[in-house]
Amino acid sequence: MADHNDPNAVNSIFSDIDYSAADLYDLFGFPTNDGRTALLALTFSATPKAGELDSDMLYRLLVTSQPRVTFPQHDDVSLETILGYFDAVKDKYLGEFKPSEIRVTVQSDQRVMVKFIGFPCGDFSTIVEVDKVTPIRTPDGQTIQAFIGGRDDAFFNDLTGFFRSINYAPQFYHVPHTMTEARELPIPKTFLELEGNDLFNFRPNFPTWGFLQKDGTTPKLELPPGPWEWKGDKFSKDADGNYRFVYDGSDCRAGQNCNAIILELPHSFITTDTALNRIVNCWGESWVLKAAHKVESIPDDQSWLSHPWRAIREAELDEELRKYKLVDTDGQPFADAALSEREDDRQVGANNFLLGPHFVRRLAHLGWGFGPSISALGLQTSFNHDNSPVSVYRTYDTAITAFPRVQKTLFQRLNMPDDSWNPKGLNIPLRRPFEIFVPNACALDIDTTGTWPFGRRLEDQVATRFLAMFLDMSAELNGKKYHLDMLGDPALWASVPIVPKTPPNPLKNDKEFLPDFPYLAEPWPVTY
Amino acid sequence: MMADYASDLAKTRNDIAALELISQRDGRDPEKRVRLAYRQFHCASLTANECDFKAVQQTIADILRDFGPDEDVCLLKASLDGHFHRLEDVKRDLRMCPPLGSRHAGRSVLADVDFEEGRYGEARAALETLLDEKPTWDNLARLAHWKGKMGHPDEADALYAEAEDELSAKEMRSFAWLELQRGTLAVSRGRYRMAQMHYRRAASSFPGDWRTDEHVVKLLAAEGNLDAALTLLRNVVARAPKPELQQALGELLDQMGRTEEARPWLETAAAAFLASVQEGGVHYYHHLVHLYAGMRGREADAVKWARKDVILRTNFATQSALAWALFQNGEVAEALEWIRRALSSGVQDSGIFAIASSLFQAAGDATQGEQCARAATEINPLAHGFHVHH
Repeated sequence: MADHNDPNAVNSIFSDIDYSAADLYDLFGFPTNDGRTALLALTFSATPKAGELDSDMLYRLLVTSQPRVTFPQHDDVSLETILGYFDAVKDKYLGEFKPSEIRVTVQSDQRVMVKFIGFPCGDFSTIVEVDKVTPIRTPDGQTIQAFIGGRDDAFFNDLTGFFRSINYAPQFYHVPHTMTEARELPIPKTFLELEGNDLFNFRPNFPTWGFLQKDGTTPKLELPPGPWEWKGDKFSKDADGNYRFVYDGSDCRAGQNCNAIILELPHSFITTDTALNRIVNCWGESWVLKAAHKVESIPDDQSWLSHPWRAIREAELDEELRKYKLVDTDGQPFADAALSEREDDRQVGANNFLLGPHFVRRLAHLGWGFGPSISALGLQTSFNHDNSPVSVYRTYDTAITAFPRVQKTLFQRLNMPDDSWNPKGLNIPLRRPFEIFVPNACALDIDTTGTWPFGRRLEDQVATRFLAMFLDMSAELNGKKYHLDMLGDPALWASVPIVPKTPPNPLKNDKEFLPDFPYLAEPWPVTY
Repeated sequence: MMADYASDLAKTRNDIAALELISQRDGRDPEKRVRLAYRQFHCASLTANECDFKAVQQTIADILRDFGPDEDVCLLKASLDGHFHRLEDVKRDLRMCPPLGSRHAGRSVLADVDFEEGRYGEARAALETLLDEKPTWDNLARLAHWKGKMGHPDEADALYAEAEDELSAKEMRSFAWLELQRGTLAVSRGRYRMAQMHYRRAASSFPGDWRTDEHVVKLLAAEGNLDAALTLLRNVVARAPKPELQQALGELLDQMGRTEEARPWLETAAAAFLASVQEGGVHYYHHLVHLYAGMRGREADAVKWARKDVILRTNFATQSALAWALFQNGEVAEALEWIRRALSSGVQDSGIFAIASSLFQAAGDATQGEQCARAATEINPLAHGFHVHH
């Protein structure tokens, strides 16, 4: 304080939070070339701009390939089983498990150092130019395709609708940064507007409310003084008896760019036993250089340039990583935003097993909002809400009390819309939510198309598929089992009493993906 | 690329211009207005210019008028008031948004108030609790300051280093500030070579900042290299014409026996201090104390300002300053009372022990006087000569 000790004078505190190159957007992973290669794409904020990378950053893609393992206790759906599963994952990740790694750092001349560490053929590195497709020869004579640079953001999603569904106030209100309790307001989460919910219901006279505008602003309102509550007892209906959807299918990322690390890796580069190891697990991390090491201005190790195949001693690499701070992680879509509430101290990447009990509690909290919404539309839900006629705001202190509510949601196998995901017709079990989200890794199955949750393809509408976890996958509609793409079917929305009659999220990206590497579309010429 | 003072200032001013334009076009967006206030605060923190600080104050006042007490704004106002020693205002600012006082950022500011008002134990306990909850770099620095003042320089330095480790390459100015604190700590212990190293690191992490040079001036002066200190201080004063720096320049010239040259600098500084006081400012009280305590015939004025300051902030710094002023004014008995109060805080500062030694000697207590002189030397074996009051 004062002139003696005043850290706040040099601390912007907050209100100065800018876009950060550390903000990871998505991780895509799917097999290509008939499963001989795996495409991995980590996208992140286009900061400073698309095609220009921040030289203070270090990005990691961690990769491992393992056999497809079927969860052994398929009939045992108890809390003990799932906690045991989390423990087993923990033991694996904290034990001798050591993933291979692709490490990317930016040189000051906008060339990128790419290091391959821990792969079977040995460690090596190379330098690639930004914004250019570059084939990289591996020490064992294989070829990796690499592209690092600016792309169209491949995320297509009604973010505003999602935020409205979870009552995320900062999207709609000016919320001081200090008011952490005013993020998700304590009223029921819901797909359908609640009668008298003046806090979040759509306002016809203010249609831009909460939507990012072309000039980069988001129209908001003043946060009313608390208590923030909802005292109603039913969903809202219009004169025609229609519910009001909190989504309108907008593509809130339309016209916006990202930077991306896109690699097409031969499966035989990742593992020597490609026949056995049919799953490729991957997750991404962003790290920012620590201030102390910026001062030291670490000189580039010229050996990287003159001897690109030179092996790296692990100790040296650890030394490199110690100069950075982990900022963000990405494995599964919505693992952070929906299930970990985007709390910074929960950025633990694949090692999210410790959050297992939190995952159960959070899923139950979401279920009390989304489950009754689904039931109101005449659909079957996997969440046990005791036939509640309306969404309920409920939180849980323990996984024990939450578990009975989400038991089915956690353990049900998620039906796929058809068999196209499994082109070889192999005996591959359908995935279940608890397996998908813990660990927080993109687990692409080489024998499938890699569509979510068997990986993640660019064209997957994962936001809508995430919502479908709350559908009862044992139920049928028009003679067909419920499935992951059911909520993306316009015909469904045309048949239920709701407006607007649209799937919650856009059905496709705003820009066509490319048929060949690097697959993500060219960046937009101007972004905001 | 390394951020530097000039580019940071230019970017901040550009941001301010853009935000002012937006606010003029449509002042109904509180987020933009709050952001403007924060950017203005950032700018003022860079320049330490009174006009820049007045601009922040005006923006804050306008926001409060138009939108009422917003937590972010009240927090900023509390930080600003703390910067200017307006401790009652700090408490009032936090009370404007009652939940703020229980939040992490608000409690950090209250810990500052505790320290400034002499509740050292409470300040330390609050900081330790805050750090248990979340080890933020600024609270690590606060606790380091506490430890440094209370005689734990190695722990303090380790805490500053821990604070540095929390910072990323995007926060180089904060990193440089921490290096300056580490340098100041080293100077206070007579570890001049260590201080040099920290100041070099500060200079290379945030190049062009006049504050770094200001610290180097103090180090040069402490080392007895007065000519070099003078040259550099003239340069600093030209870049940041602050009255406290003008005072330092006058005092340095005076110390070098260039009394005539010193006088206009001291007079200019005094005029600026008094003008600030005239406008209701209180943050220059301690500068007036030191200025007048060293000016023959003005010792009573020094006592006057010291008494005002000690009412405002009862801590070892203001207590020892009052003791020194009283001593200079020939009021040894009361001076002894105040220096005893200062020492009872547990502070381990060679300057305060040196004052105490002089006082006890003057009061005829040679034993106490020698003890204090020994303590001063133990804390900083190299302490002598010129000291920049700041």
